[in-house]
Amino acid sequence: MSTAKDLMTTKFHALRPDMSVADAVKSFKEASENEERKVFGIMVTDRHSRLVGMLSMYDILLYLRPKHVHIWGMMDDIEAEGLMDQACERLKSIRVADIMTPDVITVTSDTHLMVVLDLMIKKHIRRVPVVEGEKIKGIIYISTLFYHLLARVKS
Amino acid sequence: MTIIVKQNVLKDLAVKDVMRRQVLRLPEDATIEKNINFLIKYKLNALLLTAKKNEPTGVVSKTDIMSAYYASLPIESPARDIMSSPPLFCGADDSLESALDKMRAEGIYRLYARERASQSVVGVLAYPDVVGLLYLYCSRCEYSLVNRIRKKLETDEVSRFRVKDVMTPTVRSFRENDSLLTIMEGLSAYRFGAVLITGENDRAVGVVSKTDLILAYAHGVSSSDSARTVMFSPVLSCDETEFLEGAIRTMIFSEVHRLFVHRGDPQNIVGVLSLTDAARARSGSCRACVSSRIKVDLHD
Repeated sequence: MSTAKDLMTTKFHALRPDMSVADAVKSFKEASENEERKVFGIMVTDRHSRLVGMLSMYDILLYLRPKHVHIWGMMDDIEAEGLMDQACERLKSIRVADIMTPDVITVTSDTHLMVVLDLMIKKHIRRVPVVEGEKIKGIIYISTLFYHLLARVKS
Repeated sequence: MTIIVKQNVLKDLAVKDVMRRQVLRLPEDATIEKNINFLIKYKLNALLLTAKKNEPTGVVSKTDIMSAYYASLPIESPARDIMSSPPLFCGADDSLESALDKMRAEGIYRLYARERASQSVVGVLAYPDVVGLLYLYCSRCEYSLVNRIRKKLETDEVSRFRVKDVMTPTVRSFRENDSLLTIMEGLSAYRFGAVLITGENDRAVGVVSKTDLILAYAHGVSSSDSARTVMFSPVLSCDETEFLEGAIRTMIFSEVHRLFVHRGDPQNIVGVLSLTDAARARSGSCRACVSSRIKVDLHD
């Protein structure tokens, strides 16, 4: 029986809650290079290495999205560059904890892979940390799960 | 007999045409810290709190959180302790006019909209969204400034509102050395969303808003620290002779609720223009719009 521990990646990056979002963006780039995969979300841990949240590219984009975007969409006299400059200026005072998702869905090492799959689908999540007690053991990415399951289809 | 009926561009609109349909809720025992996270992340000014069975029981606004910061409440406290209760509602099918009247009468900045049959909350109505809609109307209007420029029309027969016509001509300012506690007292006493911060020789050096204060609370900044530590700078301002249309555009564009208004020199701040005031005026940004609001009905 395949469980979470069989598929989890034990090499992962983590962000700190009081880190600036600008530094977090740098970490996304570094993590992608180090892990040789595109990293779309990183776990956030406190100083005792306990999981306190998850910051995804989506969270950062959500913050960059203009508040009145439904108005901009109907108008043709908007300079997109100026909008993003404003958004990036606002981002300077924002920390990881301010925009991360604090409620993270986790599994344990012995959670069945089908349960992990079910969680990813039902909760619309692409990565699930594997946690034992207060310790992070690893993380399962949807792509790893996908290729693991699809390998059987191929054969 | 001639009856003059006052009209405005918002007439015939229902709350559901203007409201935001995404209403974020948190359980009332969620911590203040989590409420701040949601307010910042989703760029909201308030959250709806619910009890068991998803029943809406209160609202937590940036003002409520600022009060908690002022009172040095632990940030892990449940939002229940600081929420305003009960939430105020309107019907999604109610006329926008009646909802705006209710907001003005109650002195509040948002109403939650319920569907009549199920009584479930389906939207939220707030002033910035009303101004956004007005701005959209303005931009599409053949008399709008943008369209006049686009058509290269040299004459402008429309008498346009300028910022000085609608701004509040008084400004409350604080010193950059004033503590955050002093700033919060000022914001609370005058019911402002932000205040101007001045430095040496009374120069305008920044702005402290409720958003800056709730972030300071979340970041563990002491409330006895100075305004300088959290203020946003430079001051966003416009000249008092600027067209209202342009100023509203700047506010929506920069996602701010107010612009400080200067006379000539950007350091000479003479007033404030807020989105809320613009929404309360309930008209577009030029007098063409105002005159079209007067409908003359002829009766035998």
